[in-house]
Amino acid sequence: MADVTLSDIRKSYGAVKTIHGVDLDIKDGEFVVLVGPSGCGKSTLLRMIAGLETITDGTLKIGNRRVNDLDPKDRDIAMVFQSYALYPHMTVATNMGFSLEHRGAAKTEIAERVNWAAGILGLTDLLDRYPRQLSGGQRQRVAMGRAIVRNPQVFLFDEPLSNLDAKLRVVMRGEIKALHQKLKTTTIYVTHDQVEAMTMADRIVVLNGGRVEQIGAPLDLYDRPANQFVAGFIGSPSMNFLKGRITEAGFQASGVILPLPKSINTVIGQAAVYGIRPEHFRLSDHPSHTIVPAEIVLIEPMGPETQVTMRLGETQVTGVFRERINGAPGEVMHVAPEVGSIHLFSEDGGTRLN
Amino acid sequence: MKAEISPRAKVALYGVMCVLLIPFVFPTWWMVTSSIKPISEIFAFPPQLVPQSYDWTTYSKVFELQPFVRQYWNSAYIAAVVTVGTMIISSMAGYAFARIRFPYANAVFMIVLLGLLIPSEVTIVPLFQMFLKAGMVNTHWPLILIPIFGAPSVFATFVMRQFFVTLPAELEEAARVDGLGRFKIFTRIALPLAKPALASVAIFTFLHSWNLFLEPIVFLSSAEMFTLPQALTQYTDAYGGPMWNIQLAAATLTALPVLIVFIIAQKQFVEGLAHTGLKG
Repeated sequence: MADVTLSDIRKSYGAVKTIHGVDLDIKDGEFVVLVGPSGCGKSTLLRMIAGLETITDGTLKIGNRRVNDLDPKDRDIAMVFQSYALYPHMTVATNMGFSLEHRGAAKTEIAERVNWAAGILGLTDLLDRYPRQLSGGQRQRVAMGRAIVRNPQVFLFDEPLSNLDAKLRVVMRGEIKALHQKLKTTTIYVTHDQVEAMTMADRIVVLNGGRVEQIGAPLDLYDRPANQFVAGFIGSPSMNFLKGRITEAGFQASGVILPLPKSINTVIGQAAVYGIRPEHFRLSDHPSHTIVPAEIVLIEPMGPETQVTMRLGETQVTGVFRERINGAPGEVMHVAPEVGSIHLFSEDGGTRLN
Repeated sequence: MKAEISPRAKVALYGVMCVLLIPFVFPTWWMVTSSIKPISEIFAFPPQLVPQSYDWTTYSKVFELQPFVRQYWNSAYIAAVVTVGTMIISSMAGYAFARIRFPYANAVFMIVLLGLLIPSEVTIVPLFQMFLKAGMVNTHWPLILIPIFGAPSVFATFVMRQFFVTLPAELEEAARVDGLGRFKIFTRIALPLAKPALASVAIFTFLHSWNLFLEPIVFLSSAEMFTLPQALTQYTDAYGGPMWNIQLAAATLTALPVLIVFIIAQKQFVEGLAHTGLKG
């Protein structure tokens, strides 16, 4: 186990720059998730840490060693690939023991380690099978077994769950998390799925266009996103944004005035973006200045909650309510934004104002 | 689900297949049966599909008239060396063209492929001059070196490259993380997975070498050095006319290993060619 330190890591392919200087300190035993939309550079960054892509500029340290120029095999890392990349011509046991065998470990030691890993992952009965004889979830487990058998300093996961169906994904998510809690090996995990990021990470790194947008604990990112991109990326359904201007009466968006908290460090008249998460609307019957009319567009009952697409002034937003709502499209209901939970961003979305 | 074929269509299909079979099966049948007929029966009219009398001495004469065992050995070991050599060279070259990024790789590959377009009749004279200078005429070296570095090997390289291109890159990356270098990745991961392609390369290279005719008659001059296709032409009487039944007996013995190899390996052969370039 080891710290992983990225200092001003950059990557370019010829004149095309894809990673624009990433600084990141990952502590020993930490579970860090790199998340972002496709093309944001998260996989490239992971592959640079693995040694499968060269580092154009910057310093990468694993433990106290600078590993920029080391081969993957000398970095003491293990990686789980999106397609699992199991060797089709080898049995589960050979797949798992392959790296140890190649490093010249004794047969008894290999068998011991493979049995240990198989025991942890529930693969003991499958050791003699070939990858083609396994289900998706079992292959995923073998890929993890191949990673843990060597007891590396760092685990790297490259979207390992994206080939599984939704139900299995939730199960494997739990298994990976449990495995990390058991082994406490430093883990870097790449995904485009913000739910995976939220549920698994000790810390999330949100990437966009080859730059770090924000680093923090999942709920910190959820509660206090640093900019509009992070605010919109983290959370599902995602945060609603209304463009407008800060006035004495509140936040003037097109066709509606939304309530603001009493103390905000902004100038009256400033243009801004008003962000509110779907669950931060309350239903209300009592008219007051904090209540706004919302025209119903679509009601989707989910069971425990009701998702309502509604129009505030001219902007369409999503609200999630604990109550069951009966209403027809076109009807008007009254909702109260929770002023304590709203987010204000600069007009360009780049910075947080409150 | 497979579409069900009606019994009538099935009968028609088998009928067509039987007709199509004739041009393939008849020559083989004629060769085998004629090899044990007396020469008068071979030319009997109407033709006799089943021999009326048997003359097994043709087979012993095959061995009396020429050093046939020696010639058999020549063909066998040359084909074996050519096959193994081509498998080694084409798998390595194919892997390099598919996987290693080097300057002008595609241009070099195109130039290599151009080798397929040149007929061997065009190059045989300069090759003869070359091997003459090297003192290799009337040795087996030309029959080994020309296929290993010539058109059959180019075709094999093409087949192997097409296979390796389809091999998922993540497999190699996983092997790199597991600690393997380029050569080990080739021998431990890529090559074992290339078995179907290698099998088809092996079969057609072996057949090509086994059937090679132009090169032996150009380069070889003594009977002990002859290969089988060349030896077959030597079963002639004093006037240069072919001794048909003996020649067909020798031809039957020559075709035997090819038939055996094909019967054993036809599945790999068809699969190998069918999957190459298509396998995901």
